Amino acid sequence: MKEVLGSLWANIFKKSGKGEKAVREVLRQMPMFKDLKNRELFQLERILHRRDYNVGETIFNQGDPGLGMYIIEEGVVDIVAGSERQQLAELKAGDFFGELALLDDTPRTAAALAKTPCRLLCFFQPDLFDLLERTPRSGIKILFNLARILGERLIRANESLQDLRKDGRV
Amino acid sequence: MEGFDALTTRLPGSKGGNMNKGRGRLARYFFLALTIAALVILVIVLSDIVKTIVIAALLAYIADPAAAFLESRLVSRRAATLLIFLFLLLGTALCFFLLVPALGREIAALRAGFDSGEAVATISRIERTLEDSLGFLGVRNLDLVNRTQKAMVSVSDWMFSHLLDMVSLFTNLVIIPFIVFFLLKDGREIKKRLVHMVPNRYFEFTLYMLHKMDLQLGNYLRGQFMDALIFGALSMVSLWLLHVKYFVAIGLFAGLANLIPFLGPVAGAAPAVIIAVIDSGNLMQAVYVLLAFAAMKLIDDSLIQPIVVARSVDMHPLVVLMAVIVGGRLFGILGMLLAVPAVGFLKVVLSEGVATFRKYQWADT
Repeated sequence: MKEVLGSLWANIFKKSGKGEKAVREVLRQMPMFKDLKNRELFQLERILHRRDYNVGETIFNQGDPGLGMYIIEEGVVDIVAGSERQQLAELKAGDFFGELALLDDTPRTAAALAKTPCRLLCFFQPDLFDLLERTPRSGIKILFNLARILGERLIRANESLQDLRKDGRV
Repeated sequence: MEGFDALTTRLPGSKGGNMNKGRGRLARYFFLALTIAALVILVIVLSDIVKTIVIAALLAYIADPAAAFLESRLVSRRAATLLIFLFLLLGTALCFFLLVPALGREIAALRAGFDSGEAVATISRIERTLEDSLGFLGVRNLDLVNRTQKAMVSVSDWMFSHLLDMVSLFTNLVIIPFIVFFLLKDGREIKKRLVHMVPNRYFEFTLYMLHKMDLQLGNYLRGQFMDALIFGALSMVSLWLLHVKYFVAIGLFAGLANLIPFLGPVAGAAPAVIIAVIDSGNLMQAVYVLLAFAAMKLIDDSLIQPIVVARSVDMHPLVVLMAVIVGGRLFGILGMLLAVPAVGFLKVVLSEGVATFRKYQWADT
């Protein structure tokens, strides 16, 4: 409640603080947002949510509706799948996950668990699309970079599949 | 977040995990029910203040897309809000200097009663006709002339008392713009801070529900606002062309009344027809006014609404009618205006909320 009231009474001429500059730096380092200008990053920053997760806390479950993408600001996140929670990847600060949810509404294909206390930045799909509609130039840059990332992941997945076939495991 | 999570912690001295979960869930529902009941009572007790805040929030909500558009065009949110605010103030000042004197003159004329001898003759003729044809039902001594005179005076008294109530005038002219400015400037931040208070397990679900409600209500409210403006302007022009007295007041009223489904258009046309008959003493004038309103309604339904209003609420007409009646009963005219979006909001919560809630697999933290 203090934070809500704080936003009502804050000095309207106050310039952005240290915390907000740090978030912008995190965004700038993301491959999806690396081509964006300061003003575009500022607009992006206005729609992201910052969440803190405790050790072992579930960020989302496999099968949940996919609604947003997460960027790890601090901490380590495990990506797991199946009922046995088999680890698929371990992601650290600067990594991101859940970006497929930005493209469609398919359910999450894996679960994400906080391995250590984490601070995540989340983009909600409708908010991002709304921003992309209002600023199409930024939208093109973001979507192009997203397509490139997904393309790279597909190539790596193909290479892994070929290796598994060579080893006779598939 | 910790406040909510505390409700699910193990109660001291309890046996077994399932019992604790059940008690925790019961405590949570009880707390939620108590909070909702307290909020409802607070809203009813503080209805005047709530109305002011609701009006301000609606204005900010309607103006938000414009602020977002300006913000995306190389302007900060603060500057965008100031620009829109200046525009609104300019519009309000224009209305104040152009419309209020005309409105005041028309209200004063209503208070003085109708002075046209023809109008008195017409009403007397109508009274005689009714008494002659419905005399067998015991219809006698209707005294329509005096009743009509009293009705006009009471309507103008009501309008005068609302316009000249200095306390509410101060409230509306100062507090509403104040709230609108800060909601427009910091609304998104306030929403983010409120979402931040939601526990992680309900975070995505909350965002989804807020998005659905925005989709359901946002286009409807903004479109209705534009529709009311256009219909009100059309009414004023039509009545002015037909030389109907008090066309400013009636046009304004018709525009606002058009916001209310089903009952609004009828309520908007009725004063125009009555004034036309009383003022001119000519029943044909009433027919012209009715035709004008019918034409405007046709233009509204076939041209304005499809372009301006996204009727995305999608409810059965019976539900809409009941909502309007209940809303009017509870909160007067504001209740009637907001009945449809309020029921649409409930519809989203119940249908989308329940369906989406089930899709989430809540893991134990």
